[in-house]
Amino acid sequence: MQLKSVYKIPNGKLLKIILDYNSKNKSINNISITGDFFAYPEESIDIMEEKLKDTLLIKENLFEKINSVIKKYNIEFIGLDAEGLVEGIFRCLK
Amino acid sequence: MKEKWRLLKTEDNSAFTNMAIDRAVMVENGKDKAPPTVRFYTWKPPAISIGYFQSLKEEVDLEVCKNLGVEYVRRITGGGAVFHDKELTYSIVISESHPLVPKNILESYRRICGSIIRGLKHLWIESKYAPINDIIVNNKKISGSAQTRKSKTVLQHGTVLIDVDVDKMFKILKVPNEKIKDKLIADVKQRVTSIKHISGNNTSFNDVADAMKIGFEEEFGIELVNGDLTRKEIDLTKKFEKECFSTYEWNYRR
Repeated sequence: MQLKSVYKIPNGKLLKIILDYNSKNKSINNISITGDFFAYPEESIDIMEEKLKDTLLIKENLFEKINSVIKKYNIEFIGLDAEGLVEGIFRCLK
Repeated sequence: MKEKWRLLKTEDNSAFTNMAIDRAVMVENGKDKAPPTVRFYTWKPPAISIGYFQSLKEEVDLEVCKNLGVEYVRRITGGGAVFHDKELTYSIVISESHPLVPKNILESYRRICGSIIRGLKHLWIESKYAPINDIIVNNKKISGSAQTRKSKTVLQHGTVLIDVDVDKMFKILKVPNEKIKDKLIADVKQRVTSIKHISGNNTSFNDVADAMKIGFEEEFGIELVNGDLTRKEIDLTKKFEKECFSTYEWNYRR
């Protein structure tokens, strides 16, 4: 199932997510993270999208996974943050 | 004696060429083959550039672009879609280790935007930095910028609006909710301004470029010396134009 969300990060930028998820086990098949935010290095968003595949759509799990990727790849977001990403993903399900 | 940086003025290039030049200068600077460089440029025909993380099809009405003769290109920098028409676009390329550039990304935005603020002052316009990446006059945006860092080199490019046609801009840009498009246009008209709107005069690209040159010189305490692209930068520009910025794979990657 493919869903979309548009979410303005508080004090940040506009995040647009396209989510393809497995409705049976509630996990991410594919995710596309787009918007007018900044991420350094830029390649980190491709990595984030890849690493989020198969992650269960449980807030705590997602938050933990996103933060671990940020830490591991030394990602700096401007106008975006882990909380915003989780919120954007969950808004796809509403 | 003041440190000398290179100044490039390259008017009327295509969207693909403009983005390829910024990347070529960045690559050469990263190899210590190019000095710190400030470039002032324009776009011919007018063009829309989208941020690195944006989806071209989501943000831009490609059919309208075609009908109006507006080009489009994906930037290597993040940020939002920009309609480049009556403006001066600037770029600065400088080593990340240069002592005049803050290591902190937000601090470096503020510092580089300081040049534009000083430049606007020379056009009798009082403006201020509005984090993350804007410059405003009376709470209205007159300039927006975007920065990337690769191979220990900083590239920041941005616009200084000489005039602005919000209606035309919204013909090209898609909005998330068509139902509120009219309100959105009215809002943006309230939130965006230009040198022409403020001064009431038609200021030329060259006059704005002269003011911005002084702005950069004052902000960084350097001297900008007119220069040209090197042979290698010209070759790299052609390469990036052909292999990256003009390709479907690049522009439609999101």
